[in-house]
Amino acid sequence: MTVDLNKLHAVGAIAEAAEGKWGMVIDMDLCTGCQACVAACAMENNIPYVEEEDAGYGRSMHWIRTERFWEGEYPEVKISGYQPMLCQQCGKAPCEPVCPAFATVHSQAEQLNLQVYNRCVGTRYCANNCPYQVRSFNWRDYQDSRVRPEITILANQFNPDVTVRRRGVMEKCTFCIQRIHKAQDKAKSEGREVEDGEFTTACAQACPANAITFGRIDHPESLVSQLARSPRAEHHLEELGTLPRVTYLKEG
Amino acid sequence: MSKQISRRDFLKLATAGAATTAVLTGCGPTSRFVDREPYLKMPEYTYNGMSTYYATTCRECAAACGLVVRTMQGRAIKVEGNANHPVNLGKTCARGQATLQGLYNPDRVENPVKQARGAQLSQETLDWNAAIQIVSDALQNTDPSEIAFLMGMAPDHLFDLVSDLANAIGAPAPVRFGALGMFEARATLSKAAENLFGKVSMPFFDLENADVVVSFGANFLETWLSPVAFTRGFAKMRRGNPERRGYFVQFEPRMSQTASKADEWIPLRPGTESLVALALGRLIAEARGGAVPAAFASIDPLTVASDAGLKLETLERLAQTLVNAHHPLVIPGGAALGQGNGLAAAESVLALNALLGNFGLPGGVFVSPLAPAQDAYHRPASAKEMADFIAKMKSGGVKVLFIHGVNPVFEMPKQFGFAEALASVPQVISFATFPDETALAADYILPDHHGLESWGYQRAVVSAKPVLSGAQPVVTPYFNTRATADVFLAAAALAGGKFAAALPFADEVAFIQSKLAGLVGEEGFFAAPEINSFTAYFQQYGGWWTNDPSLATPSAASAIAKRFTPAAAEFTGEGEFFFLPFVSPTLGEAGANKPWLQELADPTTTVMWNTWVEMNPETAHELGIENDDVVQIVSEAGGVEAPVYLYPAIRPDVIAMPFGQGHTAYGRFAAGRGVNPADVLGVHFNEAGDLAFAGMKVEVKKTGKKKILSRLESRIGVYGEGLEKE
Repeated sequence: MTVDLNKLHAVGAIAEAAEGKWGMVIDMDLCTGCQACVAACAMENNIPYVEEEDAGYGRSMHWIRTERFWEGEYPEVKISGYQPMLCQQCGKAPCEPVCPAFATVHSQAEQLNLQVYNRCVGTRYCANNCPYQVRSFNWRDYQDSRVRPEITILANQFNPDVTVRRRGVMEKCTFCIQRIHKAQDKAKSEGREVEDGEFTTACAQACPANAITFGRIDHPESLVSQLARSPRAEHHLEELGTLPRVTYLKEG
Repeated sequence: MSKQISRRDFLKLATAGAATTAVLTGCGPTSRFVDREPYLKMPEYTYNGMSTYYATTCRECAAACGLVVRTMQGRAIKVEGNANHPVNLGKTCARGQATLQGLYNPDRVENPVKQARGAQLSQETLDWNAAIQIVSDALQNTDPSEIAFLMGMAPDHLFDLVSDLANAIGAPAPVRFGALGMFEARATLSKAAENLFGKVSMPFFDLENADVVVSFGANFLETWLSPVAFTRGFAKMRRGNPERRGYFVQFEPRMSQTASKADEWIPLRPGTESLVALALGRLIAEARGGAVPAAFASIDPLTVASDAGLKLETLERLAQTLVNAHHPLVIPGGAALGQGNGLAAAESVLALNALLGNFGLPGGVFVSPLAPAQDAYHRPASAKEMADFIAKMKSGGVKVLFIHGVNPVFEMPKQFGFAEALASVPQVISFATFPDETALAADYILPDHHGLESWGYQRAVVSAKPVLSGAQPVVTPYFNTRATADVFLAAAALAGGKFAAALPFADEVAFIQSKLAGLVGEEGFFAAPEINSFTAYFQQYGGWWTNDPSLATPSAASAIAKRFTPAAAEFTGEGEFFFLPFVSPTLGEAGANKPWLQELADPTTTVMWNTWVEMNPETAHELGIENDDVVQIVSEAGGVEAPVYLYPAIRPDVIAMPFGQGHTAYGRFAAGRGVNPADVLGVHFNEAGDLAFAGMKVEVKKTGKKKILSRLESRIGVYGEGLEKE
């Protein structure tokens, strides 16, 4: 099925690649900032915790975080909407052209930004170039039981579908690509296409407010496409021309 | 029958029916679990690369959300919500997600130990037979009136079992307690419902169908009663109806996470919630015309506005909004009830709802139904009841104390003296999974399984449908632990006589089945003709609930007619600042032992891994205090030291602190981290016997020390800290 992606504010690379399938819509009017998505993401993707000191240096490795901005001064102060920020899976990603090792590349099949851990040499140029600040770097061997003895038992919980990253490697949100692949494999074995709503990402699955919707942005009737056409829709830092695949719905 | 029978076989046999009796009586508890085995010898239904999913119940708080846990080769991999479960409809909170880090945690109690009240977890391990002998001796050799059971908040199967035991041998009924209940003043809410509705019950607020919601301190998006259910209700209230967007107003001295989602946050003076609710009632009655009902007759809105530090126009505008609303709803909770006049606040808000005429209507107030297999609503103990319990311990009235699922040495304010009272109890037996402060002060720790390794059921406290949530082990027990229910059953059998007669069950599952038997044949999410198929479905679907809601409508007449003597709350202490402790939205009461919960940023401050003191930037400026300056909070009860976070959305005369850190034990991730604000709380109650935890005034003293808080937000922050000042 093809769709006029120009209606989704998409031009250039995304519009040409109509097989780009996956998109996300986040309703900031519903997000309560509760951190369920952050915890779910960490549990699904084997994300390490960095402990207090490293967290203070800004080394915490949340692939998704809820940003909040104060507006005004007491008593007219408010939080201008919680804004879950994750890799926007840009159509024209600033992180991609700067990698000297081709570790962050664009997937033709899914139209996602990939991070190839075993190519990454840790220049951190991509993180430097990401306007959304969603890439996180492994400053230490956080998941190595020789460094952290407690990992021996905590590792029982690790998701076997997701690689454990080592020191010196950059990582970021993958749109739960292991779940995408699992659904694709299943659909292929049954001789059909992956249906919208057949699976979802860990963050969207957990969200108690149903603020996160994930699905096939190439199907005009899918829930995620319908929401993306909302008059409240906006893209973050759209003026940079990054063509983000995550749409935010404003409050109000 | 040998212990080789696997959990799958057990279920199949249980479903088959005929062989069940032999299975249930013939094997010990350990045979109910899937064993981790070498890859070459895979258990049935377990294939390399394939996951198996088990439905169970979340035990991180007492809300009873349904989980489906993904397991692989005998390991629990991921927690997901149970989409059929009426409480959470497939969703989870952060604490539920992180429950796996409690299961696979390096600091669990691995064996039964003779703790002997040491400072560290004892290494003197016991055999389980010896442990059961100890429990049996304690039951037999003590006068039943001097045996006490202290349990956690959840109304679960273990509470039923212990209640049955206590009842049969003539011991006092078990006491349930938890810091969450204390910090949301749960007893006050049910007492207000009892006073106005004439029945002990938990009110039910139909958030999702309301169009204008006014909350007095209820932090329902964080930890209040059943946060996942309320968050769903909030989302539906906001955006569920395409015709309109729900409007939400929160009265609270500090902008909590919940208040941060409000369209209007109104920082009223602490202790004036009851007055403001009554004033709103009067303004609404006047706006509608006609007589002002008795409840609101004696209040003067202008005085109230000035007492509460608000503008009269704000109240008038809000009253008009409520009059115009189709489905207005007002919710009382949190710190509004945790004050000297907390009961009046709860009653005023219920009366306001009665005036708005929303009782029994969509988006209104109802009375929660009893859960399946429940005789009456048993609320957790209030702080006053705990104080009585402690007094009994101190006077030597308790010879044997069994503690399960609660950590009062940490959770209760120090002033209650729980730790000292423990010293007066000759024998303390803890069933803690973690070496928490209370467990270390016990004579023996006989560790229970983690919730994901356990059988059971639990009643949902807040639900339109009566829900009995089912729990089953999703993995084999990782350590040498044993279900507390099985320990009591074995001990009772060993003791014989009235003990064995009280609990004539082969094991925990037999006990659970005896309680489920009454539901066989009932119409519900599933129906089964006999107990064994019922139990199998109960495990498969994660519980049993009715198809339709069975909410009752309270009578509005007595609520409107109640005559209030309106007065602002009295505050204790000499200090300059109102003190507002709140439960950390990310840690809850018992999350500090899980590293990923520590690593989560607090929603409003983004602080991780520590405790902070929230202070208005203007106030701090006047006192010469900056971000990360360590201050001492001093009250009549004592003092604690913590770094300041300049919080833009708090009244200048209020300081707030999160509860959840400050452990001295409870594992490596919790111990020695942050401080416990309960340490500065004094022993003052409201009329319902709840702790007036927000009814104190404290002093703030500078210490000259600095402690840099780890925050997710930029250090440049909102105030340009670190930037060149011009």
